[in-house]
Amino acid sequence: MEVGQKIRGADAVIKVLAAHGVTTVFGYPGGAIMPIYDALYGSPVEHLLSRHEQGAAFAAVGYARASGKTGVCFATSGPGATNLITSLADALLDSVPLVAITGQVSTSVIGTDAFQEIDVLGMSLSCTKHSFMVTDINELIPTLYRAFEIAASGRPGPVLVDIPKDIQISELEYKTPLQSVTEELQADSADLVAAVELLKASKKPMLYVGGGVGMGGAVAHLREFIRQTQVPSVATLKGLGSIAHDTPGYLGMLGMHGGKAANLAVQECDLLIVVGARFDDRVTGRLASFASNAKVLHLDIDAAELGKLRQPDVAIAAELQCVLPHLTEAVAGQLNIDSWVNKVSAMEVEHRWDYNHPGKLIFAPAMLRRLANKLPEDSVVSCDVGQHQMWVAQHMWFRRPEDHLSSAGLGTMGFGLPAAIGAQIARPNATVVAVSGDGSFMMNVQELTTIKRKKLPVKILLVDNQKLGMVKQWQQLFFEERYSETDLSDNPNFILMASAFDIPGKTITQADEVEQALDEMLNAPGPYMLHVAIDDAFNVWPLVPPGASNSDMMDQMEKQT
Amino acid sequence: MMHNLEIIVKPCPEVLERVLRVTRHRGFKVTQMQMLTNNDASIAISLMVEAERAIELLTNQLVKLIDVTQCKVLPNNQLDKTVNA
Repeated sequence: MEVGQKIRGADAVIKVLAAHGVTTVFGYPGGAIMPIYDALYGSPVEHLLSRHEQGAAFAAVGYARASGKTGVCFATSGPGATNLITSLADALLDSVPLVAITGQVSTSVIGTDAFQEIDVLGMSLSCTKHSFMVTDINELIPTLYRAFEIAASGRPGPVLVDIPKDIQISELEYKTPLQSVTEELQADSADLVAAVELLKASKKPMLYVGGGVGMGGAVAHLREFIRQTQVPSVATLKGLGSIAHDTPGYLGMLGMHGGKAANLAVQECDLLIVVGARFDDRVTGRLASFASNAKVLHLDIDAAELGKLRQPDVAIAAELQCVLPHLTEAVAGQLNIDSWVNKVSAMEVEHRWDYNHPGKLIFAPAMLRRLANKLPEDSVVSCDVGQHQMWVAQHMWFRRPEDHLSSAGLGTMGFGLPAAIGAQIARPNATVVAVSGDGSFMMNVQELTTIKRKKLPVKILLVDNQKLGMVKQWQQLFFEERYSETDLSDNPNFILMASAFDIPGKTITQADEVEQALDEMLNAPGPYMLHVAIDDAFNVWPLVPPGASNSDMMDQMEKQT
Repeated sequence: MMHNLEIIVKPCPEVLERVLRVTRHRGFKVTQMQMLTNNDASIAISLMVEAERAIELLTNQLVKLIDVTQCKVLPNNQLDKTVNA
């Protein structure tokens, strides 16, 4: 491009995306974003057309989470933007780097209730890390650069840029703005000394590992800490994959549906080392009785999480990549925790999952364990929300956090299918499996068309118990078996529906069909749906009842007294 | 418990909404408020807030806002003086 040559704001948007290495954008066009879609036409940036803006943004989230890059989505003004809101909230709660670009009506008619006008900036305040509305063409490029920087720096999150149509068609000279340098948060040396003292004094330390480890690129650092110290560990839903599943002393997920050994070990520890986690209520149960005899060492990039729910004895707000190696070096070989390590190991053996299930019907936990064992090294599993999501977390295992996409903080049904689409775009050679439930699947079922259009080889494992299983489980346990609006026995014929989108598949109902059916699904050259009618009598166990301590796990059909 | 905050923010049209939204959402009730534009175009917001929660739960969230450049907890008698000045 010649110096002094002017281009449209819309063209500048695409150029900024290309400058940030964005190769695919997820979106849906409409009136107020038409100039940007015009600029996209023929550009090197590819576009994946979703069939609902929520699907587009969830695909961008799946792309970001599976790749570690920033996801980008487009939507038009008004309903296009409002449809993004759920996905933005999901990305905020799970700290996912996302840049959402929305078209807006022209600046001259903003505030006049123009066609498809809604206050997107106002709506964005509670569901983004930050948001902008560009009202000056000269601010367009610096704002977009800033959006990418904010989305990915510190604790990542979604950033929305609302661009009125007149700004999109205004002309400007393209200039790359001066980039600001984000300062890395460094740990205070006195805090590091105090942390080392806590570690050395502990006889029963326990690592409680959250999503911040993966998001902070600290997986290798954490694994080295564990290797050198032997400290036992548990993970949150988002932390799964941070620790290799066969690591000695690793007890899997803790919390409301955590394993018994994981919860009991945390309750018994004398030092809780919280790494990139935030004492979510689904993790802690009754907060006052959560690891109540333990001192707390809390490490997180976000200072606002330190002391938010549990007062730490030592807290360090810094890059986990920097803190963990320091601690490893300071305490390697110096912890006297052998008897605790042995006890945790015995707890792990005592409370191992039992996959023996009487009868001929399909036991979902056993099927998912079998699936995990079959997946090739480069695999991604996305989930929806509900019972199947918890079974995936309990019974599958993941090589790294990028391989497990689950809507953790917001718990959004409808996440799984579009997230799988985004993951498949990010990692085209990976085996991507969307594990969904019969309730969740229908929430973004329109995205089957996106799979058809791009011939994406996404595998869908539809776990069907003809009910909103998790809600019904709670109705059974805590609402006197009053099953209000949780029966889904009138589900559609899922295989017939998939065939309408050129997706082959089959239904299985018997346990002895599982092995072959999983192989057929994984070996299918293109997309495939395996519809599994499971034994609907089984619920998610164990369960910490609402308001109870994590020590008080239910593991059978008990009703609350 | 009353707390007196002095918050310096960048001059963005929506910045007051951001500060007040976080204040409400994090469980603090605004009982007094004043806003002034400084000579350098930054905006000084003085807030008296009331809550049972520790004030750090609010200030830690406010300083995360991209447009907030400073957030200080002042002794409680200072806002009244500023408002009455």
